[in-house]
Amino acid sequence: MKTILSHSSITQMPSGLRPVSLLLLLSLTGLAACSSPPPDQELQAAELSITNAEKARVADYASPELGEARNKLAAAKAAVNEGDMDDAKRLAEQARVNADLATAKAAAAKAAVVNTEMQDSTETLKTEMDRNQGGTL
Amino acid sequence: MNSFMLDDRKMLVTALAALLMVACSSAPRDPEAIGQLRRDLTELQSDPQLASKAPVAIADAEKAVVAAEKPQDDAEQEAQLIYIADRKVKIAHAQAEARKLEDQRTALGKERETARLDSRTEEADTAHQLARDLQQEIDDLNAKPTDRGLVVTLGDVLFDNASSTLKPGAQDKLSKLSAFLLKHQDRSIVIEGHTDSVGTENYNAALSQRRADSVASYLTGQGLTHERLTSSGKGEGFPVVGNETAAGRQQNRRVEVIIVGAMTRAQ
Repeated sequence: MKTILSHSSITQMPSGLRPVSLLLLLSLTGLAACSSPPPDQELQAAELSITNAEKARVADYASPELGEARNKLAAAKAAVNEGDMDDAKRLAEQARVNADLATAKAAAAKAAVVNTEMQDSTETLKTEMDRNQGGTL
Repeated sequence: MNSFMLDDRKMLVTALAALLMVACSSAPRDPEAIGQLRRDLTELQSDPQLASKAPVAIADAEKAVVAAEKPQDDAEQEAQLIYIADRKVKIAHAQAEARKLEDQRTALGKERETARLDSRTEEADTAHQLARDLQQEIDDLNAKPTDRGLVVTLGDVLFDNASSTLKPGAQDKLSKLSAFLLKHQDRSIVIEGHTDSVGTENYNAALSQRRADSVASYLTGQGLTHERLTSSGKGEGFPVVGNETAAGRQQNRRVEVIIVGAMTRAQ
């Protein structure tokens, strides 16, 4: 079992054993569903999303999500090292959406801060005006 | 050989199937999590304030939720799709929220500008009103602006002939003046008595001083502090017109109140 599953055994296989080689191919195809090359695309996307989130000074507003994104990316890289590419891909995808969520949340939080400041200054003006009206006239 | 190969093949297939089962084993679906995802997305899509704000992110979330709703053989894959869809719905929500807040800014900016304008207008109005009020008070006092300040001339209606006692009606004339001075505490006054040329100069000087003092003591009686008042008798030396006629002499018999002080805007 071990030898026929190893990669090199295919090339060493004599052509007379075609049914077996067919089986081996089948088995490799089956294994391919659960293991594949490192998910470079997903990892890069995750790193880009995290960089974008960091650029947007997300840490001030949505740090849990950004922290989660960094943890997931680290876990994805660890999974690559352990050869678990499916896990790595999933973790990279999770890292990416967490980073994107951090960016979106930070944008909303910043917008809310600006709006509140605007409302406050309007309120101040109105309060001052009311006080003036009550005071001098 | 052939039969062995077939047996071998069967065994392999079985082994592989088992391997696949282990690697990608199917677990019960998580209908609750998927239902919650759909509810969250529907809520966002039916929120009139948010639904139109982040169309791309909402479409993205919709796609992710649809993918998560499809039955998966692989439990991990299913969990992954739910995880991704959950974050995408949240991303869409946050983006829509941010956009909504940004859109509100136009209105908030206008509101603030209106408040600022109102405040300035009101400030200006208040200043104008104060100036108008002061001018009205000065007009009511019949005060005339001069180099020395605002001069209120009180005619000989205050006193009987040769008397320095205020006539009962004189208080009406002086009440406006005392009200003005009580209101404008930053102003002080100089009270000057003047006579016509009938009688001796000394007598007239003394009479004019007594009359000025009478006015001063009336005003202090109304609550004005002594420091704000100066009274002097000018006698007959400062006629406003000639003393030849009775009408001229009447004009010269007078008390002048000169209002001096900080508030000069309305002068």
